[in-house]
Amino acid sequence: MTRKATRAVHTSSAPQPAIVWAALESLLLASVALFFLNLNIYGTASVSKRFSQDLVYAWFGNEAWLYPRPTAVAGARVVAVMLDERAVALRGARWPVPVQFHAQFLAELEVLQPRAILLDFLLLDPASPADLCEFLSVAARLRHDGIALYLAVTQPDDLSPMDEAACHDSQGQPLRATDVFTPVSVQRQVDGSDFVSRRYPFEQRADDSLPGSGMPSAAVRMYCDTERAPAACLARLTRDEPPDAGFELAWSPEGDPFNQRWSHASCIETISPVRAILNQPALPRESSCPPVATLFATALLSPEEDPALGPGNEQLFKLADRAFLLVGGNFRGTGDLVTTPLHTLLPGVYYHAVALENLLAFDGQPKVRKEFRSPKIAFYAYDLLVLWVLAAIFLWRQRLAQRLYPKHQSPFELSNAARDWILRVIAGCPTPLWIVLVSLLLLLLATFKSLQLVAVLLTILALVVIELRVSATAELQQRRRGLALYLGAMALSLLVIAFAIWVGYRYLRLPPGDWLGYFSFVAFGFFVAHIAILEFGRRVDELRRGGGPVQ
Amino acid sequence: MKRNPLSALLGAALPLLLWADEPVQPDKNDACLTLNNRILGPRTADRPLPLLSGDPARGFRSACSVSWSALSPKNQALPVVGCFHGSLLQVANDSACGPGLGQLWVNSRWVVTSAELDQPQKRVATCQQLETGAWAGTREFSLDCEARKKELSPESLPQATTPSESAPPATSAPSKPDTSH
Repeated sequence: MTRKATRAVHTSSAPQPAIVWAALESLLLASVALFFLNLNIYGTASVSKRFSQDLVYAWFGNEAWLYPRPTAVAGARVVAVMLDERAVALRGARWPVPVQFHAQFLAELEVLQPRAILLDFLLLDPASPADLCEFLSVAARLRHDGIALYLAVTQPDDLSPMDEAACHDSQGQPLRATDVFTPVSVQRQVDGSDFVSRRYPFEQRADDSLPGSGMPSAAVRMYCDTERAPAACLARLTRDEPPDAGFELAWSPEGDPFNQRWSHASCIETISPVRAILNQPALPRESSCPPVATLFATALLSPEEDPALGPGNEQLFKLADRAFLLVGGNFRGTGDLVTTPLHTLLPGVYYHAVALENLLAFDGQPKVRKEFRSPKIAFYAYDLLVLWVLAAIFLWRQRLAQRLYPKHQSPFELSNAARDWILRVIAGCPTPLWIVLVSLLLLLLATFKSLQLVAVLLTILALVVIELRVSATAELQQRRRGLALYLGAMALSLLVIAFAIWVGYRYLRLPPGDWLGYFSFVAFGFFVAHIAILEFGRRVDELRRGGGPVQ
Repeated sequence: MKRNPLSALLGAALPLLLWADEPVQPDKNDACLTLNNRILGPRTADRPLPLLSGDPARGFRSACSVSWSALSPKNQALPVVGCFHGSLLQVANDSACGPGLGQLWVNSRWVVTSAELDQPQKRVATCQQLETGAWAGTREFSLDCEARKKELSPESLPQATTPSESAPPATSAPSKPDTSH
């Protein structure tokens, strides 16, 4: 299009009112910000976003506002029951755990009168019909007592070999595995970028099957069975989701107090954010005291292993009465380990236990990422809305600062007097010498990371001292006002972010990783990097009104 | 093919002989084997007592769950006639779960014994630790590998053993992980 033609098209446009133009300008800036927040070339953005989320759980996972642990809620306790080599040997058995042992162990668990039991074992090894029938008989007895039983399977027909044993109950009626056990999926999800299991699948289904048609995951099924309408609960949790959808696992670094009786490490874990600032490991090295109450099977099978459960087993009954018992393996070398969001390893059964705790903690409304939501664009639009407000605050501060102090664009910018002073100092040194000195200094900082924070602090201190010594009093006063304006705008932005997080986390069920990006705009002035787009917008507007030159 | 009856007998007995050397013997120093040890009653009155049948050599099986009154109809102390790993107590009752099951076993977690009352009460729990090591080794599951592990000479092997007749699998310890990195 020629310059003449362009003018012909747009000369009729009237100038926009200031408020409209400000709104459009901030919308443009927010859109650019949203794009850069979600720019994920080679998956690098996903890694940093998820790691930031892990840090949030490591630092604040103990706080009820982030993760209201359900242990205090009556009848909602989740307990991991750990089978290991010693426990199996107490009954003269060994790995792989035989079906007879599972039958005996179910009978022992029956005494605890739990609400439900999950066997997180794939019973795929061949067993004799007599052993299978014994197993099913014990399970039927528990079912009759009102204890819900769940069995891990890889596919629905995993239970068929049990039915081939043609077992019968005491009344002579056929006893089928599906009559006593609810088959559940124990498939695990990991983030492809770092193989950490942060997500828990709703169901296991093929890519080409309909939502809700697959096999529910263990925790999902166990939770929904506690609802008044289990089918409606399952339908709600599995609707409109892609096959690999899952909910986010909130995780606490603090161990369950019950575990202190056996753990050699303290269960009161506090990880300070200061550690990350000081370049120290920001996540725990291991979970010696896991967040879910854990009963070792050896303690159940032998009072000598844990004689402090009370003369009448009071502690034991207090722990397990009407609880969800998730029985898993803690066998050396089996590889049934899960990498937790705190980047530690735990036996796989904790994956299901924490997922169930999440569902209980959030009343069946767990946190789900935007990419698994429907309609997806609505959740990104929410981000855009928040960024729009933040951009408006940013531009308002920029304009106010320019009007009040036209000489200073930023309160952090060095004054001309300070620049001259520094230049004179550096110029006093031969050029090759100061370049080599600076290079050596940067090499040292790159090598010894503990020096980086010290260097940054010393540099800031030095610049402030120089500025205070060489700048005029009036200029310093202006700078202080500019700084106050900057801090005021930042506080306002943080308030907006806090409100957005509250709405996003509480009502939109978005995990923390989805809102951490807001902070980068406020804390680091990320908008500055994209301010050029505003200049571009102004020029386009001028062109539209026929005032700007077109090359 | 005609087989020598003696070799056939030896062949059939070999799996049992192999099984016999596995460490499933009752502990000799179990506290529950104290002289005149008796089960005095249940720890909690309103909970069922899960009972087992069988023995250490052939394995245990879940038998039934009964109340204390079914195990001891006259509410008398029951003598302990056997013990396994200090936690399974065999009682002189072979009828609580029906006939043909032999003398039954109960977990000492659920009952109070006279030997226990004679001992000072311990208050501490045994420290436990979760196995969270990632091992770069393959765990041995195959039943058929048992004979090779025992390094038996080919002559001493039975002619044919089905997996169900062979001894339980020996789990090979995984190789020690490299902790140098």
